[in-house]
Amino acid sequence: MSLATLSIDGPLARLTINRPEQRNALSLELLTALHVRVDELTAMTTPSPERTSAGPHVLALTGAGKAFCAGMDLKAVLGSAERSRRLLMLLAELTYKLRRLPMVVVAVVNGPAIGGGCGLVTVCDLQLTFTDNKMGFPEVDMGVCPAVVAPWLVRRIGPGRARQVLLSGGLMSGAEAHRLGMVTECVPTITDLAPAAEALLAQLAAGSADALRATKGLLNTLDGSEDWNTLEDAAKLSADVLNTPETQAMLTKKLGA
Amino acid sequence: MSDHSQSMGEGELVRLVRQGPLALLALNRPDKRNALTPEMLERLLTLLEAPEVLEARVIVLCGEGGVFCSGFDMRLVHADSRALSKLLTGLTGVVRAMRACPRPIVAAAHGAAVAGGCAVLAGADVVVTDRAAKLGYPVTRLGISPAVTVPGLLGMMSAGGARERTLDSGLISGEEAARTGLAHVCCDQPEDVIPKATRLAQHLAEKPGSAVAAMKGLLARLGSGPEDFELALRASLGLVGSGDQLARVAALWPMPGGERSGPQATS
Repeated sequence: MSLATLSIDGPLARLTINRPEQRNALSLELLTALHVRVDELTAMTTPSPERTSAGPHVLALTGAGKAFCAGMDLKAVLGSAERSRRLLMLLAELTYKLRRLPMVVVAVVNGPAIGGGCGLVTVCDLQLTFTDNKMGFPEVDMGVCPAVVAPWLVRRIGPGRARQVLLSGGLMSGAEAHRLGMVTECVPTITDLAPAAEALLAQLAAGSADALRATKGLLNTLDGSEDWNTLEDAAKLSADVLNTPETQAMLTKKLGA
Repeated sequence: MSDHSQSMGEGELVRLVRQGPLALLALNRPDKRNALTPEMLERLLTLLEAPEVLEARVIVLCGEGGVFCSGFDMRLVHADSRALSKLLTGLTGVVRAMRACPRPIVAAAHGAAVAGGCAVLAGADVVVTDRAAKLGYPVTRLGISPAVTVPGLLGMMSAGGARERTLDSGLISGEEAARTGLAHVCCDQPEDVIPKATRLAQHLAEKPGSAVAAMKGLLARLGSGPEDFELALRASLGLVGSGDQLARVAALWPMPGGERSGPQATS
Protein backbone atom coordinates (compact mmCIF):
# COMPACT_ATOMS: atom_id res chain seq x y z
CA MET A 1 0.00 0.00 0.00
CA SER A 2 1.40 3.37 -1.00
CA LEU A 3 2.54 5.96 1.54
CA ALA A 4 0.25 8.45 -0.19
CA THR A 5 -3.04 7.30 -1.66
CA LEU A 6 -5.05 9.23 -4.24
CA SER A 7 -8.62 8.63 -5.36
CA ILE A 8 -10.65 10.60 -7.90
CA ASP A 9 -14.44 10.89 -8.02
CA GLY A 10 -15.33 13.30 -10.82
CA PRO A 11 -14.60 16.84 -9.63
CA LEU A 12 -13.32 15.69 -6.22
CA ALA A 13 -9.93 14.15 -5.51
CA ARG A 14 -8.82 12.76 -2.12
CA LEU A 15 -5.19 12.51 -1.07
CA THR A 16 -4.42 10.62 2.11
CA ILE A 17 -1.11 10.68 3.95
CA ASN A 18 -0.66 7.00 4.72
CA ARG A 19 2.00 6.22 7.34
CA PRO A 20 -0.26 5.83 10.37
CA GLU A 21 2.14 3.70 12.42
CA GLN A 22 4.47 6.73 12.53
CA ARG A 23 1.59 9.25 12.88
CA ASN A 24 2.18 10.22 9.24
CA ALA A 25 5.57 11.74 10.04
CA LEU A 26 7.18 13.08 6.87
CA SER A 27 10.13 10.91 5.85
CA LEU A 28 12.03 11.22 2.57
CA GLU A 29 10.00 8.29 1.23
CA LEU A 30 6.64 9.74 2.30
CA LEU A 31 7.43 13.17 0.88
CA THR A 32 8.52 11.54 -2.37
CA ALA A 33 5.24 9.58 -2.52
CA LEU A 34 3.26 12.79 -1.91
CA HIS A 35 5.16 14.47 -4.73
CA VAL A 36 4.27 11.62 -7.09
CA ARG A 37 0.57 12.04 -6.27
CA VAL A 38 0.60 15.81 -6.53
CA ASP A 39 2.41 15.54 -9.87
CA GLU A 40 -0.35 13.17 -11.05
CA LEU A 41 -2.94 15.77 -10.04
CA THR A 42 -1.01 18.52 -11.78
CA ALA A 43 -0.92 16.44 -14.97
CA MET A 44 -4.67 15.76 -14.74
CA THR A 45 -5.50 19.43 -14.40
CA THR A 46 -3.17 20.81 -17.05
CA PRO A 47 -5.03 21.60 -20.27
CA SER A 48 -3.91 19.56 -23.25
CA PRO A 49 -5.25 18.82 -26.72
CA GLU A 50 -5.73 15.15 -25.83
CA ARG A 51 -7.79 15.66 -22.71
CA THR A 52 -11.32 17.06 -23.07
CA SER A 53 -12.12 17.52 -19.39
CA ALA A 54 -10.02 19.67 -17.10
CA GLY A 55 -9.82 17.16 -14.26
CA PRO A 56 -10.93 17.45 -10.63
CA HIS A 57 -11.09 20.95 -9.16
CA VAL A 58 -11.34 20.08 -5.46
CA LEU A 59 -8.76 18.20 -3.38
CA ALA A 60 -9.34 16.88 0.13
CA LEU A 61 -6.08 16.26 2.02
CA THR A 62 -6.21 14.16 5.16
CA GLY A 63 -4.24 11.65 7.23
CA ALA A 64 -4.77 7.92 7.73
CA GLY A 65 -5.22 6.82 11.30
CA LYS A 66 -5.32 9.08 14.35
CA ALA A 67 -3.00 11.84 13.20
CA PHE A 68 -3.09 14.26 10.29
CA CYS A 69 0.72 14.57 10.23
CA ALA A 70 3.04 14.61 13.22
CA GLY A 71 5.73 16.60 11.38
CA MET A 72 9.11 16.01 9.83
CA ASP A 73 10.73 12.67 10.55
CA LEU A 74 13.90 14.20 11.88
CA LYS A 75 15.14 11.01 13.50
CA ALA A 76 15.63 9.55 10.02
CA VAL A 77 17.92 12.38 8.90
CA LEU A 78 19.92 12.97 12.08
CA GLY A 79 23.63 13.03 11.48
CA SER A 80 23.30 13.50 7.72
CA ALA A 81 23.46 17.11 6.54
CA GLU A 82 22.70 16.00 3.01
CA ARG A 83 19.57 14.04 3.94
CA SER A 84 18.22 16.82 6.12
CA ARG A 85 18.73 19.35 3.33
CA ARG A 86 16.90 17.03 0.96
CA LEU A 87 14.05 16.53 3.44
CA LEU A 88 13.49 20.26 3.87
CA MET A 89 13.74 20.96 0.15
CA LEU A 90 11.19 18.22 -0.57
CA LEU A 91 8.83 19.84 1.96
CA ALA A 92 9.32 23.30 0.47
CA GLU A 93 8.70 21.99 -3.05
CA LEU A 94 5.61 20.10 -1.96
CA THR A 95 4.04 23.16 -0.32
CA TYR A 96 4.75 25.17 -3.45
CA LYS A 97 3.19 22.55 -5.73
CA LEU A 98 0.08 22.22 -3.51
CA ARG A 99 -0.43 25.96 -3.58
CA ARG A 100 -0.14 26.07 -7.35
CA LEU A 101 -2.57 23.21 -8.01
CA PRO A 102 -5.53 24.61 -9.98
CA MET A 103 -7.82 23.04 -7.39
CA VAL A 104 -9.37 24.21 -4.12
CA VAL A 105 -7.35 22.26 -1.56
CA VAL A 106 -9.14 21.47 1.70
CA ALA A 107 -7.23 20.12 4.69
CA VAL A 108 -9.43 17.78 6.71
CA VAL A 109 -7.37 17.85 9.89
CA ASN A 110 -8.42 14.58 11.48
CA GLY A 111 -5.78 14.60 14.22
CA PRO A 112 -2.53 16.21 15.36
CA ALA A 113 -0.86 18.46 12.78
CA ILE A 114 2.55 19.48 14.03
CA GLY A 115 5.45 21.42 12.61
CA GLY A 116 5.81 20.54 8.93
CA GLY A 117 2.49 18.73 9.23
CA CYS A 118 0.87 21.97 10.38
CA GLY A 119 2.65 23.68 7.51
CA LEU A 120 0.79 21.42 5.08
CA VAL A 121 -2.46 22.50 6.74
CA THR A 122 -1.51 26.15 6.40
CA VAL A 123 -0.74 26.01 2.67
CA CYS A 124 -4.19 24.59 1.91
CA ASP A 125 -6.96 26.96 0.83
CA LEU A 126 -9.50 25.91 3.47
CA GLN A 127 -9.08 23.83 6.62
CA LEU A 128 -11.42 22.05 8.99
CA THR A 129 -10.55 20.60 12.37
CA PHE A 130 -12.20 19.91 15.74
CA THR A 131 -12.01 21.74 19.06
CA ASP A 132 -9.72 19.44 21.01
CA ASN A 133 -7.25 18.68 18.26
CA LYS A 134 -3.57 19.53 18.75
CA MET A 135 -1.84 21.74 16.22
CA GLY A 136 1.08 24.10 16.05
CA PHE A 137 4.67 24.85 15.37
CA PRO A 138 6.93 23.66 18.21
CA GLU A 139 10.05 23.91 16.05
CA VAL A 140 11.79 26.50 18.19
CA ASP A 141 11.39 24.20 21.20
CA MET A 142 13.36 21.55 19.32
CA GLY A 143 16.13 23.91 18.22
CA VAL A 144 14.76 23.87 14.70
CA CYS A 145 13.76 26.88 12.61
CA PRO A 146 10.26 26.78 11.02
CA ALA A 147 11.42 28.73 7.99
CA VAL A 148 9.60 26.79 5.27
CA VAL A 149 6.21 27.08 6.95
CA ALA A 150 6.67 30.75 7.84
CA PRO A 151 5.70 32.36 4.50
CA TRP A 152 2.55 30.23 4.35
CA LEU A 153 1.58 31.08 7.90
CA VAL A 154 2.07 34.79 7.26
CA ARG A 155 -0.16 34.55 4.19
CA ARG A 156 -2.78 32.72 6.19
CA ILE A 157 -3.01 34.70 9.44
CA GLY A 158 -0.97 37.85 8.82
CA PRO A 159 2.53 38.78 9.95
CA GLY A 160 1.67 39.86 13.50
CA ARG A 161 -0.03 36.63 14.51
CA ALA A 162 2.53 34.53 12.61
CA ARG A 163 5.28 36.19 14.62
CA GLN A 164 3.50 35.35 17.85
CA VAL A 165 2.81 31.73 16.87
CA LEU A 166 6.23 30.86 15.45
CA LEU A 167 8.26 32.47 18.19
CA SER A 168 6.12 30.97 20.97
CA GLY A 169 6.49 27.38 19.83
CA GLY A 170 4.38 24.88 21.73
CA LEU A 171 1.04 23.52 20.60
CA MET A 172 -2.50 24.86 20.57
CA SER A 173 -5.99 23.41 20.41
CA GLY A 174 -8.09 23.26 17.26
CA ALA A 175 -10.30 25.94 18.81
CA GLU A 176 -7.34 28.26 19.32
CA ALA A 177 -6.11 27.55 15.78
CA HIS A 178 -9.53 28.61 14.51
CA ARG A 179 -9.53 31.74 16.63
CA LEU A 180 -6.16 32.74 15.16
CA GLY A 181 -7.35 32.07 11.61
CA MET A 182 -5.07 29.07 11.04
CA VAL A 183 -8.09 26.92 10.19
CA THR A 184 -11.24 28.19 8.52
CA GLU A 185 -13.70 25.93 10.32
CA CYS A 186 -13.70 24.19 13.70
CA VAL A 187 -16.35 21.62 14.69
CA PRO A 188 -17.06 20.51 18.27
CA THR A 189 -15.83 16.90 18.13
CA ILE A 190 -14.01 14.50 15.81
CA THR A 191 -17.30 12.82 14.88
CA ASP A 192 -18.59 16.15 13.53
CA LEU A 193 -15.57 16.52 11.26
CA ALA A 194 -16.43 14.18 8.38
CA PRO A 195 -20.02 15.47 7.87
CA ALA A 196 -18.81 19.08 7.92
CA ALA A 197 -15.98 18.29 5.51
CA GLU A 198 -18.27 16.41 3.12
CA ALA A 199 -20.74 19.31 3.10
CA LEU A 200 -17.97 21.79 2.23
CA LEU A 201 -16.44 19.47 -0.38
CA ALA A 202 -19.85 18.98 -2.00
CA GLN A 203 -20.43 22.73 -2.14
CA LEU A 204 -17.03 23.23 -3.77
CA ALA A 205 -17.49 20.31 -6.17
CA ALA A 206 -20.81 21.79 -7.35
CA GLY A 207 -19.23 25.19 -7.97
CA SER A 208 -17.81 26.24 -11.30
CA ALA A 209 -14.33 24.80 -11.83
CA ASP A 210 -13.39 27.77 -14.03
CA ALA A 211 -14.52 30.32 -11.46
CA LEU A 212 -12.74 28.59 -8.59
CA ARG A 213 -9.54 28.15 -10.59
CA ALA A 214 -9.52 31.77 -11.76
CA THR A 215 -10.07 32.95 -8.19
CA LYS A 216 -7.31 30.79 -6.76
CA GLY A 217 -4.92 31.85 -9.52
CA LEU A 218 -5.52 35.51 -8.81
CA LEU A 219 -5.19 35.01 -5.04
CA ASN A 220 -1.84 33.28 -5.60
CA THR A 221 -0.61 36.14 -7.79
CA LEU A 222 -1.59 38.83 -5.31
CA ASP A 223 -0.48 37.22 -2.02
CA GLY A 224 3.05 36.21 -2.93
CA SER A 225 2.37 32.49 -3.35
CA GLU A 226 4.24 32.43 -6.65
CA ASP A 227 7.53 33.35 -4.98
CA TRP A 228 9.71 30.22 -5.05
CA ASN A 229 12.99 31.96 -4.14
CA THR A 230 11.89 32.80 -0.60
CA LEU A 231 10.85 29.18 -0.01
CA GLU A 232 14.09 27.83 -1.40
CA ASP A 233 16.10 30.14 0.86
CA ALA A 234 13.89 29.10 3.78
CA ALA A 235 14.59 25.41 3.15
CA LYS A 236 18.33 26.09 3.11
CA LEU A 237 18.11 28.17 6.28
CA SER A 238 16.15 25.48 8.06
CA ALA A 239 18.66 22.84 7.02
CA ASP A 240 21.57 24.99 8.18
CA VAL A 241 20.00 25.41 11.63
CA LEU A 242 19.10 21.73 11.79
CA ASN A 243 22.68 20.77 11.02
CA THR A 244 24.32 22.85 13.75
CA PRO A 245 26.03 20.73 16.43
CA GLU A 246 23.83 22.30 19.10
CA THR A 247 20.59 21.29 17.36
CA GLN A 248 21.88 17.86 16.41
CA ALA A 249 22.81 17.22 20.06
CA MET A 250 19.40 18.46 21.30
CA LEU A 251 17.51 16.35 18.77
CA THR A 252 19.60 13.26 19.46
CA LYS A 253 18.70 13.62 23.11
CA LYS A 254 14.98 14.41 22.50
CA LEU A 255 14.40 11.78 19.84
CA GLY A 256 16.39 9.10 21.61
CA ALA A 257 18.32 8.33 18.43
CA MET B 1 -34.26 61.52 7.38
CA SER B 2 -33.93 64.55 9.71
CA ASP B 3 -35.36 68.05 9.21
CA HIS B 4 -31.87 69.31 8.48
CA SER B 5 -31.41 67.15 5.48
CA GLN B 6 -31.41 68.16 1.87
CA SER B 7 -32.40 65.40 -0.44
CA MET B 8 -31.54 65.20 -4.11
CA GLY B 9 -33.00 62.79 -6.61
CA GLU B 10 -35.91 61.23 -4.69
CA GLY B 11 -36.73 58.94 -7.57
CA GLU B 12 -33.15 57.93 -8.20
CA LEU B 13 -31.73 54.50 -7.57
CA VAL B 14 -28.94 56.05 -5.51
CA ARG B 15 -30.05 58.97 -3.37
CA LEU B 16 -27.83 61.67 -1.96
CA VAL B 17 -28.98 63.15 1.33
CA ARG B 18 -26.94 65.93 2.96
CA GLN B 19 -27.29 65.86 6.74
CA GLY B 20 -25.16 68.52 8.42
CA PRO B 21 -21.52 67.52 7.91
CA LEU B 22 -22.53 64.15 6.46
CA ALA B 23 -23.35 63.02 2.95
CA LEU B 24 -25.53 59.92 2.96
CA LEU B 25 -25.38 57.85 -0.21
CA ALA B 26 -28.37 55.53 -0.07
CA LEU B 27 -28.96 52.63 -2.44
CA ASN B 28 -32.62 53.11 -3.26
CA ARG B 29 -34.08 49.99 -4.83
CA PRO B 30 -35.61 48.35 -1.76
CA ASP B 31 -38.16 46.27 -3.66
CA LYS B 32 -35.21 44.49 -5.32
CA ARG B 33 -33.10 44.32 -2.15
CA ASN B 34 -30.91 47.07 -3.67
CA ALA B 35 -29.70 44.73 -6.40
CA LEU B 36 -27.06 46.61 -8.40
CA THR B 37 -27.39 47.75 -12.01
CA PRO B 38 -24.60 49.33 -14.08
CA GLU B 39 -26.45 52.66 -13.82
CA MET B 40 -26.42 52.53 -10.01
CA LEU B 41 -22.67 51.92 -9.99
CA GLU B 42 -22.13 54.78 -12.45
CA ARG B 43 -24.28 57.03 -10.28
CA LEU B 44 -22.28 56.07 -7.17
CA LEU B 45 -19.05 56.82 -9.00
CA THR B 46 -20.34 60.23 -10.07
CA LEU B 47 -21.55 61.04 -6.57
CA LEU B 48 -18.22 60.07 -4.99
CA GLU B 49 -16.54 62.75 -7.07
CA ALA B 50 -19.35 65.34 -6.90
CA PRO B 51 -18.70 68.73 -5.22
CA GLU B 52 -21.81 68.47 -3.06
CA VAL B 53 -20.47 65.21 -1.61
CA LEU B 54 -16.86 66.29 -1.28
CA GLU B 55 -17.97 69.39 0.64
CA ALA B 56 -19.31 67.08 3.34
CA ARG B 57 -16.88 65.89 5.98
CA VAL B 58 -17.86 62.22 6.09
CA ILE B 59 -19.78 59.94 3.74
CA VAL B 60 -22.21 57.26 4.92
CA LEU B 61 -23.03 54.50 2.42
CA CYS B 62 -26.28 52.71 3.22
CA GLY B 63 -29.28 50.98 1.72
CA GLU B 64 -33.04 51.61 1.93
CA GLY B 65 -35.30 48.78 2.97
CA GLY B 66 -34.56 45.47 4.65
CA VAL B 67 -30.99 44.88 3.49
CA PHE B 68 -27.93 46.87 2.44
CA CYS B 69 -27.38 45.15 -0.92
CA SER B 70 -28.04 41.71 -2.37
CA GLY B 71 -25.44 42.00 -5.15
CA PHE B 72 -25.68 42.29 -8.92
CA ASP B 73 -29.14 42.23 -10.49
CA MET B 74 -28.98 38.67 -11.83
CA ARG B 75 -32.17 39.00 -13.82
CA LEU B 76 -30.48 41.81 -15.73
CA VAL B 77 -27.31 39.73 -16.10
CA HIS B 78 -29.37 36.93 -17.61
CA ALA B 79 -31.29 39.25 -19.95
CA ASP B 80 -28.46 41.47 -21.18
CA SER B 81 -25.22 39.86 -22.31
CA ARG B 82 -23.23 43.03 -21.68
CA ALA B 83 -24.49 43.63 -18.15
CA LEU B 84 -22.11 41.40 -16.22
CA SER B 85 -18.95 43.00 -17.68
CA LYS B 86 -20.36 46.47 -17.00
CA LEU B 87 -21.21 45.48 -13.43
CA LEU B 88 -17.76 44.01 -12.73
CA THR B 89 -16.00 47.03 -14.23
CA GLY B 90 -18.35 49.43 -12.46
CA LEU B 91 -17.84 47.65 -9.15
CA THR B 92 -14.06 47.90 -9.20
CA GLY B 93 -14.36 51.54 -10.26
CA VAL B 94 -16.56 52.29 -7.25
CA VAL B 95 -14.27 50.50 -4.75
CA ARG B 96 -11.22 52.32 -6.11
CA ALA B 97 -13.03 55.66 -6.01
CA MET B 98 -14.12 55.03 -2.40
CA ARG B 99 -10.53 54.28 -1.39
CA ALA B 100 -9.24 57.33 -3.28
CA CYS B 101 -11.90 59.62 -1.83
CA PRO B 102 -10.38 62.04 0.67
CA ARG B 103 -13.45 61.87 2.93
CA PRO B 104 -13.78 58.91 5.29
CA ILE B 105 -16.59 56.52 4.40
CA VAL B 106 -18.73 54.61 6.88
CA ALA B 107 -20.73 51.73 5.40
CA ALA B 108 -23.98 50.68 7.09
CA ALA B 109 -24.31 47.05 5.98
CA HIS B 110 -27.55 45.98 7.62
CA GLY B 111 -29.35 42.71 6.97
CA ALA B 112 -27.30 41.48 4.04
CA ALA B 113 -24.24 42.54 2.02
CA VAL B 114 -23.85 39.82 -0.54
CA ALA B 115 -21.60 39.35 -3.57
CA GLY B 116 -21.26 42.77 -5.24
CA GLY B 117 -22.93 44.19 -2.13
CA CYS B 118 -20.16 42.70 0.01
CA ALA B 119 -17.46 43.85 -2.39
CA VAL B 120 -18.35 47.53 -2.01
CA LEU B 121 -17.64 47.29 1.72
CA ALA B 122 -13.94 46.97 0.90
CA GLY B 123 -13.98 50.59 -0.21
CA ALA B 124 -15.23 51.81 3.16
CA ASP B 125 -13.10 52.87 6.10
CA VAL B 126 -15.50 51.62 8.77
CA VAL B 127 -18.08 48.89 8.23
CA VAL B 128 -21.04 48.57 10.57
CA THR B 129 -23.26 45.50 10.44
CA ASP B 130 -25.62 43.52 12.66
CA ARG B 131 -25.14 40.13 14.34
CA ALA B 132 -27.51 38.19 12.14
CA ALA B 133 -26.65 39.91 8.86
CA LYS B 134 -25.51 37.73 5.96
CA LEU B 135 -22.24 38.50 4.19
CA GLY B 136 -20.16 36.69 1.61
CA TYR B 137 -19.71 35.74 -2.03
CA PRO B 138 -22.08 32.99 -3.21
CA VAL B 139 -20.99 33.52 -6.81
CA THR B 140 -18.71 30.72 -7.99
CA ARG B 141 -21.79 28.51 -8.29
CA LEU B 142 -22.95 31.02 -10.96
CA GLY B 143 -19.69 30.66 -12.89
CA ILE B 144 -18.64 34.11 -11.70
CA SER B 145 -15.23 34.58 -10.12
CA PRO B 146 -15.06 37.00 -7.18
CA ALA B 147 -11.40 37.69 -8.09
CA VAL B 148 -12.39 41.33 -8.72
CA THR B 149 -12.94 41.83 -4.99
CA VAL B 150 -9.62 40.37 -3.78
CA PRO B 151 -7.46 43.55 -3.80
CA GLY B 152 -10.13 45.27 -1.71
CA LEU B 153 -10.40 42.34 0.70
CA LEU B 154 -6.64 42.29 1.14
CA GLY B 155 -7.02 45.80 2.51
CA MET B 156 -9.39 44.51 5.23
CA MET B 157 -8.09 41.13 6.34
CA SER B 158 -5.27 38.60 6.06
CA ALA B 159 -4.62 36.94 2.72
CA GLY B 160 -5.92 33.71 4.27
CA GLY B 161 -9.17 35.45 5.18
CA ALA B 162 -9.57 36.78 1.63
CA ARG B 163 -8.83 33.29 0.30
CA GLU B 164 -11.48 31.75 2.53
CA ARG B 165 -14.13 34.32 1.69
CA THR B 166 -13.69 34.03 -2.07
CA LEU B 167 -13.27 30.25 -2.40
CA ASP B 168 -15.91 29.22 0.16
CA SER B 169 -19.23 30.36 -1.27
CA GLY B 170 -21.07 30.04 2.05
CA LEU B 171 -22.41 33.16 3.76
CA ILE B 172 -21.20 34.23 7.20
CA SER B 173 -22.97 36.17 9.94
CA GLY B 174 -22.30 39.80 10.80
CA GLU B 175 -20.80 38.58 14.05
CA GLU B 176 -18.34 36.34 12.20
CA ALA B 177 -17.63 39.18 9.75
CA ALA B 178 -16.65 41.46 12.63
CA ARG B 179 -14.44 38.72 14.08
CA THR B 180 -12.54 38.26 10.80
CA GLY B 181 -12.20 41.87 9.67
CA LEU B 182 -14.88 41.93 6.97
CA ALA B 183 -16.78 44.32 9.28
CA HIS B 184 -15.61 46.47 12.18
CA VAL B 185 -18.65 47.21 14.33
CA CYS B 186 -21.47 44.80 15.05
CA CYS B 187 -24.87 45.96 16.31
CA ASP B 188 -27.44 43.74 17.95
CA GLN B 189 -30.29 44.54 15.56
CA PRO B 190 -30.43 45.53 11.89
CA GLU B 191 -32.41 48.67 12.70
CA ASP B 192 -29.53 49.88 14.91
CA VAL B 193 -27.04 49.84 12.02
CA ILE B 194 -27.80 53.06 10.16
CA PRO B 195 -28.17 55.11 13.37
CA LYS B 196 -24.87 53.67 14.67
CA ALA B 197 -23.11 54.35 11.37
CA THR B 198 -24.45 57.91 11.39
CA ARG B 199 -23.24 58.50 14.97
CA LEU B 200 -19.79 57.13 14.08
CA ALA B 201 -19.72 59.39 11.05
CA GLN B 202 -20.65 62.43 13.17
CA HIS B 203 -17.79 61.55 15.49
CA LEU B 204 -15.37 61.27 12.53
CA ALA B 205 -16.68 64.58 11.21
CA GLU B 206 -15.30 66.36 14.28
CA LYS B 207 -11.73 65.40 13.41
CA PRO B 208 -9.56 67.71 11.30
CA GLY B 209 -10.36 66.85 7.69
CA SER B 210 -6.85 67.31 6.34
CA ALA B 211 -5.34 64.87 8.83
CA VAL B 212 -7.94 62.25 8.06
CA ALA B 213 -7.52 62.74 4.30
CA ALA B 214 -3.73 62.45 4.57
CA MET B 215 -3.95 59.25 6.60
CA LYS B 216 -6.46 57.77 4.20
CA GLY B 217 -4.24 58.62 1.25
CA LEU B 218 -1.22 56.95 2.83
CA LEU B 219 -3.15 53.80 3.70
CA ALA B 220 -4.34 53.56 0.10
CA ARG B 221 -0.74 53.82 -1.14
CA LEU B 222 0.34 51.05 1.24
CA GLY B 223 -2.39 48.74 0.02
CA SER B 224 -3.28 47.16 -3.31
CA GLY B 225 -2.21 49.32 -6.25
CA PRO B 226 -3.90 50.00 -9.59
CA GLU B 227 -2.13 47.06 -11.26
CA ASP B 228 -3.56 44.65 -8.67
CA PHE B 229 -7.10 46.00 -9.16
CA GLU B 230 -6.74 45.75 -12.94
CA LEU B 231 -5.36 42.21 -12.79
CA ALA B 232 -8.18 41.13 -10.49
CA LEU B 233 -10.83 42.69 -12.74
CA ARG B 234 -9.37 40.93 -15.79
CA ALA B 235 -9.45 37.62 -13.91
CA SER B 236 -13.20 38.02 -13.32
CA LEU B 237 -13.93 39.43 -16.79
CA GLY B 238 -12.16 36.46 -18.38
CA LEU B 239 -15.02 34.14 -17.45
CA VAL B 240 -17.88 36.37 -18.61
CA GLY B 241 -19.85 34.92 -21.49
CA SER B 242 -18.39 31.42 -21.18
CA GLY B 243 -20.74 28.49 -21.75
CA ASP B 244 -20.39 27.45 -18.12
CA GLN B 245 -21.17 30.93 -16.79
CA LEU B 246 -24.18 31.44 -19.07
CA ALA B 247 -25.62 28.02 -18.22
CA ARG B 248 -25.22 28.49 -14.49
CA VAL B 249 -26.92 31.91 -14.52
CA ALA B 250 -29.71 30.57 -16.75
CA ALA B 251 -30.29 27.79 -14.22
CA LEU B 252 -31.49 30.44 -11.72
CA TRP B 253 -34.70 30.68 -13.73
CA PRO B 254 -36.90 27.65 -14.22
CA MET B 255 -38.05 26.19 -17.48
CA PRO B 256 -41.80 26.83 -17.94
CA GLY B 257 -43.74 24.63 -15.54
CA GLY B 258 -40.60 23.58 -13.66
CA GLU B 259 -39.53 24.13 -10.03
CA ARG B 260 -37.43 27.21 -9.36
CA SER B 261 -33.95 25.99 -8.87
CA GLY B 262 -30.54 27.46 -8.29
CA PRO B 263 -29.22 29.42 -5.35
CA GLN B 264 -30.87 32.43 -3.76
CA ALA B 265 -28.57 35.27 -2.82
CA THR B 266 -29.77 35.40 0.76
CA SER B 267 -32.31 33.60 2.91
